[in-house]
Amino acid sequence: MSGFYDWLAVLADRGSLPEAFRFAFFARGLLSILVLAPLLGGMSHLVVARRLSFFSAALGQAALTGLAIGLLLGEPIDRAHGGIFGFCTLSALAMVWVKRHARLPADTLVGVFLSLTLGLGICLLVAVTKRFNVHQVEAVMFGSLLTVTDGDLALLATLAVVVAAVLGWIYNRLLLESLDASIAQAAGVRTALLEYVFVLLLTAAIVVSLKVIGALLIEAMVVVPAAASRNLARSTRAHLFGSIFTALVAGVGGLFVSTRFLVPSGGAVVLAMSAVFFATLALAALRGGARRPA
Amino acid sequence: MSTSPVLEIADLRIDRESRRVLEDVSLEVLPGSIHFLVGPNGAGKSTLLQAVVGLVDFEGRITLRMRGSGRLGWVPQSFAVDRTLPITAGEFLALSRQRRPVCLGVGRRVRARIDSLLASVGLDGFSRRPVAELSGGELQRLLLANAIDPAPELLLLDEPSGGLDEAATSRLEEVLARLSRQSGTAVLVVSHDRGQVRRLADRVTIVDRAVRRSGSPDEVLGGDAALAPEIR
Repeated sequence: MSGFYDWLAVLADRGSLPEAFRFAFFARGLLSILVLAPLLGGMSHLVVARRLSFFSAALGQAALTGLAIGLLLGEPIDRAHGGIFGFCTLSALAMVWVKRHARLPADTLVGVFLSLTLGLGICLLVAVTKRFNVHQVEAVMFGSLLTVTDGDLALLATLAVVVAAVLGWIYNRLLLESLDASIAQAAGVRTALLEYVFVLLLTAAIVVSLKVIGALLIEAMVVVPAAASRNLARSTRAHLFGSIFTALVAGVGGLFVSTRFLVPSGGAVVLAMSAVFFATLALAALRGGARRPA
Repeated sequence: MSTSPVLEIADLRIDRESRRVLEDVSLEVLPGSIHFLVGPNGAGKSTLLQAVVGLVDFEGRITLRMRGSGRLGWVPQSFAVDRTLPITAGEFLALSRQRRPVCLGVGRRVRARIDSLLASVGLDGFSRRPVAELSGGELQRLLLANAIDPAPELLLLDEPSGGLDEAATSRLEEVLARLSRQSGTAVLVVSHDRGQVRRLADRVTIVDRAVRRSGSPDEVLGGDAALAPEIR
C-alpha cells in the first residue's frame, strides 16, 4: 500500500490533490471512510427500523469496557480486537436474550445493560490508565485517524463484504420482521435467529469502525444517516441510498474538517452528519413533507 | 378434495400473566370451509389465532396438516408497523415475493404480480404509495393482499372488516368466498359482524374463554335473539 500512498503524496505535491494527501494516515482514513460509510450508513436504516438506536449506544459503551478488558489481558492498545469484540458480542447476545425472555420494555433493559457495562468500564479504565497514556485510550473513545493501520483497513473491507453478503441474503425477511413480527412469523421467518444474526453483524461492524469514529460516537454513525434520509425518503430504496449518501458526504466532509482543524475524526464526522440531518429536516419542512408519527 | 381438517386444535389452554385466557378449546377447520369465531371482547378469540400463528405459548395440541403450498396466510387485527418508516405498498408486498433485497428495487415481473394483487383488493395504482399514507381501511386491504397470494392452505383473519367501508367489506367477502371455493383454502375468521357471519360462514364457533357452541350457522346462532350476546 505504501506505493499507493506515495503516489497520492506526489499528486498532492503537484497540487492535483488537496495537501492532506501528503500524509499516508489521511489517505488511509479516507479509504476507511469510503468503506465504513456505506457499511454503517447502509445498516443504519435497518437499525432505525428495528428500533436499535439505544442498543447501538450500549454497544459503543461496551466497546470501551471491552478495550479495558483486552488491555488488562495483555492485548496491545492498537489491536485490542479480542477484548472489544468478545465483550461487545457477549453484551449484544445477552441483551437480545434478556429482551426476548423478560417482560420489561426493550429500552429499559438496554438501559440496565448500558449502566452495567459503563460502571464496569469506568472501574477497569482506572486500572488501565495506570499502565497506558490516557490519550491512547481517548483515541478509542473519540476516534483517531493516526491509529488506523493497513491491517485495520483490510479487516474493515473484508468485514464490509461479509456483512453486505449476509444482509443481502436475509434483508427482505429482516425488514418484514422489523415491520410486523407476527406477519413474518406466519410467513415462516425464524425471527429469533434473524435477530441474533443481525445484532452480531452490527456488533462486528461497530467494532471494526471504532478506530475511525470512536466508541462514544459510533451510535451516531448507525442512527443519524437513517434519520437524515428518513426526513425525505418515501420508499425503502430511497431510505437506503439516502442513508449511505448522508454517511459518505458527512464522513468525507468530517474527515477534511478533522485534518484542517486538528479535531478528532469521530467528532468531526458526527458533527457533519448532524448538519446533514438538520438540513434534510429543514428541507422536509419546506416541502411540507416532514412526517410525524401517526 | 380431502375432508380431513387443515387445522386441528385439541385441549388448548393459554395463560397470560397468571390468568387463564383459554381453556379446553378444541376445534377443526376443514379445507374449503369458512369458519367464524365469535364471542364478546376479551373472550380469547384473537389469542386463539395468535397461538395458531405461533405468537403465544400454549398447552394442548395445534396440528396443521398442509398438503399443498404449506402456506399460512395471516391478517392481524392491526398493523404494528412504525408508520413513519419509508416503505411503499409495493415494496411491502415484494418482501415475501422476491429474493432480491427490496432496497435494490422490485423486479418487473414481481411488480406486475403486485399490481394485479393490489387491484384484486381494490387498491389499484397503490404500488408506489407509502404505507405511512394509507388509511386504516387501506392498510387492512394491503394486509389481506399480502395474505392471499399465493393462495394459502390456511387463512387466519382477525377482525378483517374493522375500518372497512361497505364496498371494501363486500370485496373482502368475495375474496374469501373465492379462495375457499376455488383454491380450497381453509379460512378461520374472528368477526363481530353478524351479517358477514350469516353470509359467509360454513361453521361458527362461539368462544368465551372456552368453546360455548360450535356447528353450522343455523345450529349455533339460531334466531337473531340468540346472536345478541355474542355479536352485534
